[in-house]
Amino acid sequence: MTDTRTTAAHGGAIGLHGIKKWFGTFQAVDDVTLDIRPNEFFTLLGPSGCGKTTLLRMIAGFELPTEGQILLDGADISSLLPNQRPVNTVFQNYALFPHLSVAENIAFGLKMLGRPKAEIGTVVNDMLRLVHLEGRGDNPVTQLSGGQQQRVALARALAPRPKVLLLDEPLSALDLKLRKSMQMELKRLQLETGITFVFVTHDQEEALTMSDRIAVMSAGTVRQVGSPWDIYDRPAERFVADFIGETNFLEADVVSVSGSAARVRLSSGAEISASFPADAVPTGSVTIVVRPEHARAGAPTGMSVLRGAVHDIVYLGTDTHLHMHLDDGTTFTVRQQNARSGHCGFSKGDTVGIDFSDGVAQILRD
Amino acid sequence: MNGAEQAAAAARKQDIRSRWLLSAPALLIIFVAAVGPLFVMLLYSFMVKGDYGDVKLGEFSLEGWTSVFFQRDIFDDTLGLADAHLSIIWRSIQLSFFTTVLTVILGFPTAYFIATRPPHTREIWVFLVTIPFWTNLLIRTFAMQQVIRNEGLLNNALMWLGVIKSPLQIMYTDTANLLGMTYVYLPLMVLPLYASIEKLDFRLVEAGYDLYATRFQVLRRIVIPLVRPGIVAGSILVFIPSLGAYVIPRVLGGGKNMMLGNLIEMQFGSGRNWPLGAAMSITLMVLVTVALIFYVRNASRGGAGHV
Repeated sequence: MTDTRTTAAHGGAIGLHGIKKWFGTFQAVDDVTLDIRPNEFFTLLGPSGCGKTTLLRMIAGFELPTEGQILLDGADISSLLPNQRPVNTVFQNYALFPHLSVAENIAFGLKMLGRPKAEIGTVVNDMLRLVHLEGRGDNPVTQLSGGQQQRVALARALAPRPKVLLLDEPLSALDLKLRKSMQMELKRLQLETGITFVFVTHDQEEALTMSDRIAVMSAGTVRQVGSPWDIYDRPAERFVADFIGETNFLEADVVSVSGSAARVRLSSGAEISASFPADAVPTGSVTIVVRPEHARAGAPTGMSVLRGAVHDIVYLGTDTHLHMHLDDGTTFTVRQQNARSGHCGFSKGDTVGIDFSDGVAQILRD
Repeated sequence: MNGAEQAAAAARKQDIRSRWLLSAPALLIIFVAAVGPLFVMLLYSFMVKGDYGDVKLGEFSLEGWTSVFFQRDIFDDTLGLADAHLSIIWRSIQLSFFTTVLTVILGFPTAYFIATRPPHTREIWVFLVTIPFWTNLLIRTFAMQQVIRNEGLLNNALMWLGVIKSPLQIMYTDTANLLGMTYVYLPLMVLPLYASIEKLDFRLVEAGYDLYATRFQVLRRIVIPLVRPGIVAGSILVFIPSLGAYVIPRVLGGGKNMMLGNLIEMQFGSGRNWPLGAAMSITLMVLVTVALIFYVRNASRGGAGHV
């Protein structure tokens, strides 16, 4: 593995500038500008039809942008053919060549680049080792399991040492357990090879687990770009907050703003501090979000931020979800970790007080 | 063995017997219609030829078989190779081979074009390809004659364009045979090719481009290996009727450029040598069978990894 480490840190930077893509009268991508840094694990996350795959296919060269520029390490590659771009793709269905063996599949790219036979042999062996398929080189790819085919697809795309590896929902065909282990595997491969990974998925958990940064997309536009922590804890707008994980929305009024935090007054009359997106200083009435696990339920006291009645208790093994109706009618969920065994201590109809620490609340941009 | 088992075995036997009985009419027709004539041919090939055609039944001779490949010198009665027959057999094989190659070259882009159209327009294209089948083979062959004859479309067009000064003599040459057969058998190549190209996963083509393959490399290393079953099926469908072609060489090739089919017809007609004709027919069948075995072997080897 040493040889892959020595060549590490050669990942390319991708710049997308004002990318628009029309298919007939349908606009798949609407003015996307993104900068993907070298050696980063970058994820395009969004529901199906949000344009994330189209964006990936434009980086690969399978589609040409209607407008805009694609830069690789500063050079414009917008008009290059797929076989002229030092970028490789791991396809959703793997797209392995069924008439070739595992080793021939992995060697394909290098062979097309006209590399010497000896070098191809060495790289193929390295790749087989990298994806834990030693000794399977002569197998026909059609006889492999889904997980193994996935590894071959990865090895095939990594073998020519691309500057950027594009992954189009590569884990969606695998079962849950395999998917979890492949997530770790992908992260390891990215760190070991130092190649920039651009990963497309609709699975928020997958995105949070592996990514250095995530771009959340919706209807052809990028809604928010940030680290998994940013995206999860500091969603900038309703779509992002709603798409990633579960969340509670509360109406509030801004009392004052100082620096990067604001004081807001909730419908219960309590005042809390909340953070807000840097580009949108809040005024007037706003929507804030509080993640269910950031809130605590307890006996109602005068200090409680909110008050509500339990209307459903869902036991999930590791956690218990308490679904509540607040006094003003909005619903609110508290997620409690089951630190001790036994009952959570609440029953339906109980009136409870809800608390959360200062700063966990986030004000949404309108 | 107890009573129940015996009864079950008897019922099974009864079942098998009634199945045979039920399929007997079909088997009889197949036997009489397919195996019967072949058997008659085989029998005739070993008889002495009759004076005015037909054979003298009951008089056995190997003359029919030996004269497929050998001929007796009229003066000293020694056996020599039958050059005329061998050259006709060889020409048939050559022409059929080149017809197959030409139909692949012309049929592949056609089939690829059709397979890459949007689904609803594909059907129209396939329909267009089958239109020639509505017309009798003889008519189509005469149509070809109108195109390639000295005062035909092709020559007139070339002369009008000033490419040639005097008409090209295409009629009554091997080229005429080749053009005619390519034209007539092209749909038989396009249809199986289309069927297999349509099933091709075009994401594999994308994967090829992604892995730095040029257009030609994608064609050679991905598309052709994957549609090989279609190429093989089309080749069989074109090669076999080409080998036995009769109408096309008769109309376009004239007397000098006979093919095996014409040679056989001659033995049953003006040649009045039925045993020779019968032996030649069986020779043709053996040639076809050998070609088939070769193709099928080739196909199963190449298509092993293909799903």
